[in-house]
Amino acid sequence: MGDFNIFHHMPWSSTYSIYFFTIGISAALFFFSALSWFREEFRSLRNSAFYLSFVLLAVSGVLLIGDLSKPARFLNIMNPAYLNFTSPLTWGGLNLISFGLVSLAYFFMMRKNDEVMSRKLAVVGSLLALGLPVYTGFDLTVHQNRPVWNTPLMPILFVAMSLVSGAAVASFLGKGTEKLQAMLRGFMLWSAAAVGIMLISLLGTTAYGGTGQELTFMFMTSGTLGGIFIGVGILLGTAAPILLLLAPFGRQQSGMMLSALLLLIGGMALRYSILVGGQIVQTYF
Amino acid sequence: MSELRTSSIETRGKPGLKRYAMVIDLRRCIGCDACMTACKAEFDVPLGVFRTWVPYKVVGTYPNVRKHFMPRLCNHCDDPPCVRSCPVGATYKVEDGGFVLQHYDRCIGCKACMASCPYNARFMLPKSRTYTDITSVVDKCTFCHHRVTQGLAPACVQTCIGRARIFGDLNDPGSEVSRLVATLPTQVLRPEEGTKPHVFYIGLDRNNSEHGRAVYNPLDVQAEDRQAFNNNHQG
Ligand code: SF4
Ligand code: SF4
Repeated sequence: MGDFNIFHHMPWSSTYSIYFFTIGISAALFFFSALSWFREEFRSLRNSAFYLSFVLLAVSGVLLIGDLSKPARFLNIMNPAYLNFTSPLTWGGLNLISFGLVSLAYFFMMRKNDEVMSRKLAVVGSLLALGLPVYTGFDLTVHQNRPVWNTPLMPILFVAMSLVSGAAVASFLGKGTEKLQAMLRGFMLWSAAAVGIMLISLLGTTAYGGTGQELTFMFMTSGTLGGIFIGVGILLGTAAPILLLLAPFGRQQSGMMLSALLLLIGGMALRYSILVGGQIVQTYF
Repeated sequence: MSELRTSSIETRGKPGLKRYAMVIDLRRCIGCDACMTACKAEFDVPLGVFRTWVPYKVVGTYPNVRKHFMPRLCNHCDDPPCVRSCPVGATYKVEDGGFVLQHYDRCIGCKACMASCPYNARFMLPKSRTYTDITSVVDKCTFCHHRVTQGLAPACVQTCIGRARIFGDLNDPGSEVSRLVATLPTQVLRPEEGTKPHVFYIGLDRNNSEHGRAVYNPLDVQAEDRQAFNNNHQG
């Protein structure tokens, strides 16, 4: 004899995880371009990282707007009469728009070779870029009823994931010196390690949480998301590249490329499973 | 019993304001689904989604078994997370009455409110509807705001054959809901979420209302239905 319940779908579809991925990379690439004004070894990344960051910002905007069920109304988010400052989405919208504007200004100053302004915009833009993964984390963390999402780790985890994926992409862009490669390797290694530690703590608190959390833990480890979260996200996409980067092979160009590729695959898998994982159990309530 | 008010949006116990609430007496619900039907008719609620629904669970072991019905709807929470999370103020709370309502013309369809509601009370309207031109925005139960402000009972309350649903102003000590909440043991769903729900249940067994391990091994027949639902209702 069956039970009866009506079905509920997950409000936030997997498109959001692609958005998380692209916006995280965009933010980190801007940061690397900005860094080039202060650290000579990043000089070769200045233009390429910025251009790719801008393209990804545009792609992210399209993804975000396209996922609204009323895309034409996205301007409402800029209407001062409507803004609701208790929502992280409001802050995120403003952050995105100001980041876009600062990026544009940065582009023009860079073209004009105006070093003073470029440096200033690089700092402001980097702070706004930092805001992007922070707000995406807050987007999730404020939902008190969602296992996995509702932890103060989320904003920091998203910053670390943004650095990992961004450094991985930058390592493909950087035809630069050995010094740059070593710096990017360091970024990948340390931020991937930070992601790893945070994931362990996330898994621990989820496994020992309430019923919803416990069930979510099961879905994410041995259930439907097990392969993608544990297999691809943690083992293949975080642990394996860390080990590779630590090995002598990881110091060579090809070793770094392979690690970067794995980190990108892992980054996408992690974002996807965190987004979906927090929503599975609720669809049964 | 008065609850601690922790957020300025809360109006329970605020003098001069109404705070509507519903009491659902599960001992009286026979699972006839008349409330679901009345609600569908009142609001032209599309196929596959519900403003109110009556799930059941078969509990016990033969020969001691029974169907446990649990009518559900938006709880018109006193501290609603959906209102908090809407970036454009399309979800709002009516101070006098406590209704949580939608500005359909403002909603951008970001689904943040759906993500934040612990009760799955919200759903996305389809892209096209036959009789109503409100489409592709989020919708939910309104506590029949249009009826209540005219002095009528909500459609589900009016139609309930077992008189299992009772509606009224909780800030009025003389109302039936006040008397029931004051004199009988009542429960709300997921009080730990801090939402201060204003749908109170008499006779709710939390063993049956919460997630159980059954979630992890859903019946095959349900899994198929769920798949079909998901295919037809993409967020
Ligand atoms: S039940 Fe959900 S939709 Fe209704 S007021 Fe509470 S949080 Fe909002
Ligand atoms: S879907 Fe509409 S009502 Fe819900 S949070 Fe977004 S804009 Fe607000």
